[in-house]
Amino acid sequence: MGWGAPVVYLCALALSLGLCALMLILAGKPALGGLFMLFRGAFGQGHSLLDALIKAIPIFLCSLGVALCFRMQIWNIGAEGQFALGAVGATWAALTFGTLPGVVLLPQMFLSALVLGALWGLIPAVLRLRLGVNEIISSLMLNYVGILVLEYLVFGAWKDPASFGFPMTSEFPPAALIARIWPGWLGKLHWGLIACPLAGVAYSVFLNRTRLGFELAACGEGERVARYARLPYGFLVLLVMGLGGALSGLAGSIETSATLGRLQPTLMVGYGYTAIVVAWLARLKPWPIAFTAFLLAALRVGVEAMQLELQIPAAFGQIMEGAILLCVLAGQFFLAYSVSLKRPRTGPPAQVAEARP
Amino acid sequence: MDIAPHTPDVGPVDVLPLVRLAGVTKRFGQVLANDDISLSIMPGRIKALLGENGAGKSTLMAMLAGRFEPDAGHIEVAGKPVAFASSRQAIAAGIGMVYQHFMLVEDMSVAENVLLGQAGGFFLDPAQMRATVGELAARFGLGIDPAARVGDLSMGERQRVEILKLLHRKSRVLIFDEPTAVLTPGETAALFDALRSMSAQGKAIVFISHKLEEVLSVADEIAVLRRGRIEGEFLAADVTSPADLARRMVGRDVLLDVHRDPVPPGPLVLAVRDLSLQGANLSGPALLDHVSFDLRQGEVLAVVGVAGNGQQQLVETVCGLSRPESGQVELLGHGWDEFHKYHDWDGALAWVPEDRAGLATCRSLDLTDNMLLTTREGFSRGMWLDRARARTAAREIVREHNVQPGRIGLQAWQLSGGNLQKFVLGRELRRRPRLLVAEQPTQGLDISATEAVWQRLLEARKSMGVLLVTGDLAEALQLADRILVLYRGRVMGLFPASDSGQVERIGALMAGLS
Amino acid sequence: MSPELILALLAATVQAGTPILYATLGEIISERAGVLNLGVEGIMALSSFAGFLGCHLTGSAWLGLAAGGLAGALLAGLHGVVCQVFLGNQVVSGLALTIFGVGLCNFLGTPYIGQATDGFHQFAVPLLADLPILGRIFFRQDALVYLSFLMPALVWFLLWRTSFGLGLRAAGEMPAAASAAGLNPQRLRFLGVLLGGLLCGLGGAYLSLAHTNLWTTGLSGGRGWVAVALVIFAFWRPGRAVAGAYLFGGVMAFQLRLQASGTNVPSSLLLMLPYVLTVLVLVLSAARAQSARRRGILGRKSAAPAALGVNIESVG
Repeated sequence: MGWGAPVVYLCALALSLGLCALMLILAGKPALGGLFMLFRGAFGQGHSLLDALIKAIPIFLCSLGVALCFRMQIWNIGAEGQFALGAVGATWAALTFGTLPGVVLLPQMFLSALVLGALWGLIPAVLRLRLGVNEIISSLMLNYVGILVLEYLVFGAWKDPASFGFPMTSEFPPAALIARIWPGWLGKLHWGLIACPLAGVAYSVFLNRTRLGFELAACGEGERVARYARLPYGFLVLLVMGLGGALSGLAGSIETSATLGRLQPTLMVGYGYTAIVVAWLARLKPWPIAFTAFLLAALRVGVEAMQLELQIPAAFGQIMEGAILLCVLAGQFFLAYSVSLKRPRTGPPAQVAEARP
Repeated sequence: MDIAPHTPDVGPVDVLPLVRLAGVTKRFGQVLANDDISLSIMPGRIKALLGENGAGKSTLMAMLAGRFEPDAGHIEVAGKPVAFASSRQAIAAGIGMVYQHFMLVEDMSVAENVLLGQAGGFFLDPAQMRATVGELAARFGLGIDPAARVGDLSMGERQRVEILKLLHRKSRVLIFDEPTAVLTPGETAALFDALRSMSAQGKAIVFISHKLEEVLSVADEIAVLRRGRIEGEFLAADVTSPADLARRMVGRDVLLDVHRDPVPPGPLVLAVRDLSLQGANLSGPALLDHVSFDLRQGEVLAVVGVAGNGQQQLVETVCGLSRPESGQVELLGHGWDEFHKYHDWDGALAWVPEDRAGLATCRSLDLTDNMLLTTREGFSRGMWLDRARARTAAREIVREHNVQPGRIGLQAWQLSGGNLQKFVLGRELRRRPRLLVAEQPTQGLDISATEAVWQRLLEARKSMGVLLVTGDLAEALQLADRILVLYRGRVMGLFPASDSGQVERIGALMAGLS
Repeated sequence: MSPELILALLAATVQAGTPILYATLGEIISERAGVLNLGVEGIMALSSFAGFLGCHLTGSAWLGLAAGGLAGALLAGLHGVVCQVFLGNQVVSGLALTIFGVGLCNFLGTPYIGQATDGFHQFAVPLLADLPILGRIFFRQDALVYLSFLMPALVWFLLWRTSFGLGLRAAGEMPAAASAAGLNPQRLRFLGVLLGGLLCGLGGAYLSLAHTNLWTTGLSGGRGWVAVALVIFAFWRPGRAVAGAYLFGGVMAFQLRLQASGTNVPSSLLLMLPYVLTVLVLVLSAARAQSARRRGILGRKSAAPAALGVNIESVG
């Protein structure tokens, strides 16, 4: 593959940047100036890089969870809902055991987030295994339901009476907040960051060194192979959806506790969907996932800067994400086919033409 | 032994060939698939193209069918050079193919399949479509219901649909790619009759095969293809020595008798008693119907039958994928439940399935990981996997079984079918099973790979019982100590391979006649 | 509930079901051609904006509809290019399309939020509108609803009674067979995707041109995903799509009516209804398909096109 992949990715990036410039022109904004603003906003100053790093934390965690499922061709696109349920779980613990000290309370919050996220991920898994229900649609529908569960709680039972009618819980007690690492120098960067290397290393060790990890990769070839080789297919579907949900749930709890300090609907900004883009762009590998998560987080920061200066809608970031993914998907064709006219290395098995030599 | 030397053109001189290939060459990367091939295809004649897998038959026919264009040389139809850019143009020129894997849409009716891409106008009239196809079938004596769903038809009937497609397009050249692979002996005979009658009506027939006896019994002319070149062309009537023909096809002497040491029967490894299976479709016929047999260490039991007569269900039950609904299956002295619940990865049961590329291996995993697929228990300590040791073992298999190319970093799809099969067999034998289930182990393999697989199986039977499921009678007779004929899930006969009286009747038994 | 209220609810059911019906029929065409298009949500979002903008600029609801259909076909065409030309993964490409389409709708549409449109108006069909009950439910609607009554039959006719449809289904079941018959399965699939996108686009345009007369973003609100689920419920048949679309229309209308009536059921719970129902419908169709196969009645009729989601790889 060599340098083919970077070239394809750069071309895809250039193509999607061109497309976005076109969008800016359509919206009556300066195209080049806008893109420059985007770039400066994302990478221009130290604090914007820190902002990107903070946003990259939930994206990275969700993306690992999604990638785990994609590895065995389970199309879990429910990270957004699992993230919401994780936030709900953490909030429940924070509001219920608020008087406990931090060393007890925070693990309590993470645990309930992991459990709720995992349960939310297990619903599509069970439906698929028992009845053959397509997990793409069921996990996606549960995103909507998960966000509405969150809203139901903050509009209702958990609403802070002192919030003047705004949908939000009361502020978490200090013990329920994840501390900042070094407020003087590193701004809002918080200790939730250490969850990333831990999860990344675990992901990589699990896939490369353990028997279950190998069995998972083999299951990616389909249920028939799994039956032949006596792989625990059903167990693995439950495992990856459970773990994937747990990781997204963890991301939700970290985000609630570290950046908002309370639960409110503004928490849901589509990290779960960005995570899918990241996972696919990074071809499900942990280091590239970290890198891509940071890039797309930086893109979000850049778009925020643009939003302020140019008064353009935040959806600009979505367009870019979608465009990059589409371009890379098309570009991967050249990686798989230009070297030799052979079958692609990823994706579903291709229809093989008859009468090959 | 002496047959006519290489003569580029045989057949009547006064008739113009329908199709003539002149110096056709096709290259794929480094591989020369077809090298300077010249052939004439005459109306009213059946020409057989004899060659091993990989000899270039399929490439040649794909060029005739308009799927590839030749790199050099040209194709003439009725004396005029043509260049097919698509299969549509080849069809228009009167060239029709019956592919080895039928090009039929299972979820559509016979009439829809025949008229696919052929319907006159934009709008369709189903009643009229059925009438058209029914008429055509009647005219050529091919009995078939135009309204039937293709997915419900037998293989022989599906082949008739393929032939109807060509007849409807008024194809003048009909090319059959390994047409008998899926047929019963009876259906094969009916196909040969149909071929003769179509050729009598002036159609040119091309019959691609690697089976000598079939070629000799149906063809007027035989062209032998080896390594992309025409190795010789003969009139079938002139062939006096099939062995010589085989040698030309393979390029060396064919081992007609695989060496077989007698092995004394050992302990019972598999006992099946009254095994029945209804399957998911409760209103349909039983998939397995009171099947009983024994298998001992030291013997090969061949299960023969046309595909789809319960072989798959039998294999899946023995191998633990589906539970016996009624009756008993005893493996190595244990009941089915007990055996499969406490399944040992080695020293017990191994399975070489028919679908080596889609079931026995993962196409995008490398050979080490593919080796681990069924042997991973032997390379784990607790939850950890010992990949270094696995690589050594994979290298051993590759060396011992002469898998080419021998790099264990290759992914499964990069290996040819024969080499993949040798690898799978090596992997399964490494588990030192006492019961080996081998499904169509040499299907699609060339003669040298076939020989290698046969030798391994015969040797393996010294320490295990081999349940061989095959559709190839020659293979069954070559390897088996006993033969079991399966028809619609019933055992039609179970007899020693040495019982020549019974062996004679296998064809009838496979067709359900007892 | 008074009879009048029930009739109004049923009429609202038809209205709410109409965009879903268009989108479901569009996705049926696409999937029958073998292309899984998970971008329906994005297509509907973009088309709702294109419909609004077309109408806003020209003042003609019909031109707005055309703009919506065109936008849908264009966006679907992008999916077609990525999957049919560059052999990209259909699942991921569809997701990317949704992200892209929803993003475009939000980006381009935000400045116009709150603008009024003069879209399609309801009118009574002479004679039929006077039918008891049925007239009130079905024949005092707008032109797009009337058009949607014909759509299932049109789609059925196209797929099962034309040579184009025969080829299209062959491309979805077994592209190699279509190719061997001299057809071009890639082209057929591409046309199927475009046509499907066009219908999804009409559904999206309905949202901004008839469903509401004040432009806002987020009109599609998951309807595209519902349509993808309904294709499975409909067993890939246009006739059954009608039942599914109106079932959802009913739930949406009921939920809106209940919210408007000032019930004390929290709105978040009411809003959940369609999404939970989608999952339930999937569960039911899966169970039905399973039992049908067990009884051997429906056979493969309840199964997806055999080559759905599998790209055609062509050499030479």
